[in-house]
Amino acid sequence: MAQPVDRERYKASLDRLYDIFADISDTVTRVSKTRCPYKNVHDRCTANFGCRNQDRNVPAGELYVCTGSDDLDYRSAWEI
Amino acid sequence: MPLEHEGILKELEHVTRPFEIKHIRSLYEDSDPKMHDIAYALIVGDNHEVDRLTGQALEDGFSANTVMDDGLIAGMAIVGIKFRDNVIFVPEVLISARAMKAGMAHIEPILSESGIEPIGTVIMGTVKGDLHDIGKNLCIMMLRGAGFVVHDLGVDTKPEEFIDAVLEHEAGVLGMSALLTTTMPNMGRTIEAFEDEGLREEVKIMVGGAPVTQEFAEDMGADGYGENAIACVDMAKELSGVDGVVPVDMAD
Repeated sequence: MAQPVDRERYKASLDRLYDIFADISDTVTRVSKTRCPYKNVHDRCTANFGCRNQDRNVPAGELYVCTGSDDLDYRSAWEI
Repeated sequence: MPLEHEGILKELEHVTRPFEIKHIRSLYEDSDPKMHDIAYALIVGDNHEVDRLTGQALEDGFSANTVMDDGLIAGMAIVGIKFRDNVIFVPEVLISARAMKAGMAHIEPILSESGIEPIGTVIMGTVKGDLHDIGKNLCIMMLRGAGFVVHDLGVDTKPEEFIDAVLEHEAGVLGMSALLTTTMPNMGRTIEAFEDEGLREEVKIMVGGAPVTQEFAEDMGADGYGENAIACVDMAKELSGVDGVVPVDMAD
């Protein structure tokens, strides 16, 4: 059997993870005002729905290119 | 111990604030190179590698606490900083979260053996007619990080699917997400379906999504509303009767 978990240390770990996730949540709120959250670091679209900002002229199997400018409200381009 | 992991050294270049440089660098310098491997695999989102390395580390005798702190959470700390500084974006955070889940799958049985059970079970899904899932997925990542077991029903979820999942998993909390004003009413219809089946008192229901407001949540009869992912975690804890971030059975 594996070493038993130290409860106090586990509690501290959860507290630390909560703080990390709270910061991530704040960043989501800030970033998503301008940049579509489905747009990845390579400016490719990870959404499973249609969007007028998707450039679908990509090789089969690749994610569509996002042509959103990050200046306009991206949500008006979503098709569903 | 000198830090020699090339990948971690490169990732640490993203950590630029003085306090964080001192805190995070010392965290890595004080930990074992095998933990660096786990952290790096998590940062780059390689869930298969996190799965393999975590299992191996536990077999090698590292404690679950050490693997969590020095591997998984240390990696997630850098993910959070890279996200904050626009080095990566939401999809990459979620890929790292998937890797963290792969590692935690090895930790959870050890928690259970140690008498630490999940703080609750939550069913999560995007309502019927709605295919937007990123907010829900962020909530799920954070709920799991808080110690909940979460069953993800995905998108376009019918009321009867929510009901079946709550019954099957004996969930105490149901979370529904909608991102369109046109699909938002399906939250209310799902709540009505629970009422029609006589199950409304069996589960606490929380709702969220960009167009949803506290007022709308109250009008449709939800028990709680979360305006962002961390508020979703706080609400799930409140609805589950969990105080703060301490699992119930650890409060003694």
